[in-house]
Amino acid sequence: MTGLFDIYTTLFRTDLAVQFQYRAAMVIWLIGRVIEALVFLSVWTAVAESQGGQVGGFSAGDFAAYYIIMMMMGHLTFTWFMYEFEFRVRSGSFSPLLLQPLHPIHRDIAMNISYKLLTLVVMLPTMFLMVGLFDPTFNTPTWAVWAAVPVVLLAFLMRFFVEWALALVALWTTRTEAANQVYFAALLFFSGQMAPLALMPEWVQSLSALLPFRWMLAFPTELLLGRLEPEEVLQGLAAQVIWLGLAWGMMGLVWSRGVRRYSAVGS
Amino acid sequence: MSAVPAIAVRDLSKTYEVPVREGGLAAALKSLVHRQTRQVEAVKEINFEVAPGEIVGFLGPNGAGKTTTLKMLSGLLYPSGGQCRVLGFEPFKRQRDYLRQITLVMGNRNQLIWDIPVLDSFERNRAIYRIERTAYQRTVDELTELLDLGPLLDKPVRNLSLGERMKCEVAAALLHKPQILFLDEPTIGLDVTMQRRIRSFLAEYNQRYGATVLLTSHYMADVEALCKRVVVIHHGQLLFDGQLSELVQRFSPHKTIVVELENEGSDLSVYGEVVDGVDGRVSLRVPKAETAQVTGRLLSEQAVLDLTVEDPPIEDVIEQVFAGV
Amino acid sequence: MSYLRLLWIFLRIGVMNELAYRANFWVQLLQSLVSMGVALAGLAVIFSHTEELGGWQPAELVALLGVFFLMSGLIGALVQPSMQRFMEDVRQGTLDFTLTKPEDSQVLVSISEVRVWKFLDVVQGAALIGWALAEIGLQTGFMHAASFAITLVAGAAIVYSFWLVLATFSFWFIKAENILVIFQAVYSAGKYPVAIYPRWLKMAMTFLVPVAFAVTVPSEALLGRLSTEVFWGALVMAVVMVVGARVFWLWGVRHYSGASA
Repeated sequence: MTGLFDIYTTLFRTDLAVQFQYRAAMVIWLIGRVIEALVFLSVWTAVAESQGGQVGGFSAGDFAAYYIIMMMMGHLTFTWFMYEFEFRVRSGSFSPLLLQPLHPIHRDIAMNISYKLLTLVVMLPTMFLMVGLFDPTFNTPTWAVWAAVPVVLLAFLMRFFVEWALALVALWTTRTEAANQVYFAALLFFSGQMAPLALMPEWVQSLSALLPFRWMLAFPTELLLGRLEPEEVLQGLAAQVIWLGLAWGMMGLVWSRGVRRYSAVGS
Repeated sequence: MSAVPAIAVRDLSKTYEVPVREGGLAAALKSLVHRQTRQVEAVKEINFEVAPGEIVGFLGPNGAGKTTTLKMLSGLLYPSGGQCRVLGFEPFKRQRDYLRQITLVMGNRNQLIWDIPVLDSFERNRAIYRIERTAYQRTVDELTELLDLGPLLDKPVRNLSLGERMKCEVAAALLHKPQILFLDEPTIGLDVTMQRRIRSFLAEYNQRYGATVLLTSHYMADVEALCKRVVVIHHGQLLFDGQLSELVQRFSPHKTIVVELENEGSDLSVYGEVVDGVDGRVSLRVPKAETAQVTGRLLSEQAVLDLTVEDPPIEDVIEQVFAGV
Repeated sequence: MSYLRLLWIFLRIGVMNELAYRANFWVQLLQSLVSMGVALAGLAVIFSHTEELGGWQPAELVALLGVFFLMSGLIGALVQPSMQRFMEDVRQGTLDFTLTKPEDSQVLVSISEVRVWKFLDVVQGAALIGWALAEIGLQTGFMHAASFAITLVAGAAIVYSFWLVLATFSFWFIKAENILVIFQAVYSAGKYPVAIYPRWLKMAMTFLVPVAFAVTVPSEALLGRLSTEVFWGALVMAVVMVVGARVFWLWGVRHYSGASA
């Protein structure tokens, strides 16, 4: 295992060095994420105001808190490899990766984590700024903050494997936009981004319990807002563990099939 | 010489399925539902063996099947038929122990990371190939000396010239001291000096470490400088496997002299076989042995504006080889 | 009027190019439909909890969405691909070909690339508008339709000029392309009426990334809720931006050609 540790530290070091040079692009990307959160925040605040201050158990302050935390959760769990892989296959830079005695997923994990560490430097102050601007209401019990550590970790790993499997679609076709779009549409509705799940129709709430999206974003967000009872958190953790297993299995299957296909057809 | 071959290829074949696209809206719509394909045989039942430490050149025009063969041997493609063994492994299984002993360098692709110093990219390979640190340092020092990398190691790859970058790419590919080197058009796009540099390095490397080298190229010069043995591939088939000297002697015994005269329309057939005569530029094919003599005669007997001596293009040589089969 | 003919030629070439990739049509159709589905589903969720948003009724928001798609289609079909191609050319250094041609460089750059299938978004937008107007039962008189058409053209002109200014910046800053990320984010905020946003974002959407003029204003004109001040403001803004962008462009071209000479 020391080999893997050495690999990760070396990859981290060099990835940080590379990404630091693109910090302007990183900041701009962050601005995009902030605006995205603001759109939802503004919409639901307007709805709350039209209904006399609150809707579905959420006041304007609650929505502010929800979307600020959601933005952070989104940032901690997101990946971009569904675009990266399409580029890799198209440019032929995928083949060299296959010939290295290291599963390519390790490089991507390292790249992903180092990106987030670097952007956290800007994301945290931005979050505090938004807290100042929008006056959110936080009722987070201390135990929830501790519970958030494994929850966020599981959410990150789960989402990583699911989206990496999605990225591998590039090994079959260059038309990845359609698959990506459907994925992000599902994510939007079932992860609690479009609206807190409590505000969604019944059938969406039921279905979201069976899909992974809720456990990626809504679950950690609701936990950190103090909206969950301890036993709900335990149930959620169980769901996350199950989904992590499923995602990992699916990713492995798609990978071996995808590589076999790629090796049949070539670049 | 009963040693186990480093590379053994038997009846190796690769067939691709290529989609067939017809014109017209109806066909296009139909193709979205049911795709029609046809078979393209890129490599057809080739056989050869390579002993450890040999440098073998794969010659052939574009699309001949050289790169496909190389990809099968390195493990990127799996064969449609036949079998290949490299160092006893089946390449397409891409086992870790296999990957640690080979390297693939492709001429126009870079694996080094653009924005960081070369040495940092080297470090990544050190970690990924799990090279022991003292051995790694020694290798870096050796390669730096052999390739003159000293001033380059601290520079980000984007600041290097094409030739400098190629040197570093080659070095990065050899950090783990692979036993087998697969080189696909390694000198493509480089200027003449750099081409020579890379060639002499590869020869030196092979000498020092006994690595087996498989080199594809459509530059005759690459092969001439490095390979005693060549394999000629055309239309996926192996047309010649033997000593380079034999190939050259057998199939390109001529040179082409292209001469531009002051007075067009002179009859030069007395000097050699006139192959082409356009706008006063005449191409003459002469036997190799007579080249110097004919050149001398042309220069002294004609009013020459310009004169060049060329090897026949490799395609012509291949055509000869093909015609001879 | 040779420029019109030039435009026609480029469009035809662009169309013929795209027609060669017929699969693109189906992909774009799927993508457009999914976008529309997602947006409408979002509206459905919102209006399951309220009857109006920022003073807009559900059907009015559908009309707004229609104008959003209409504008996206127009920009995505012609303006955006051409400008992106231009910025790419600057980065690769292949721009000189365009600049040495006899025709006006701005025109050439603006119509260099067409994504024909993006017009599906225009069709989609028009369908949404049609449905919404029928729902509301609005009688569109001539003045109505005229003010909609005028503000739409003004909005398109403003967005085009914005893109041109952005593209011109890439003469100096090669990484100007990153700004596209912000453009996309702010533009997608235009799906909802500008009124619901905090003041500073409203300002940004009006003067920085002019999506307010592109989507909200024409929608207000369509629905008969446009004030005269905003109408004239939009026209003035359009004129100012078109002229300003052109002046900036010409300056940029002169500077660029001078630099590489």
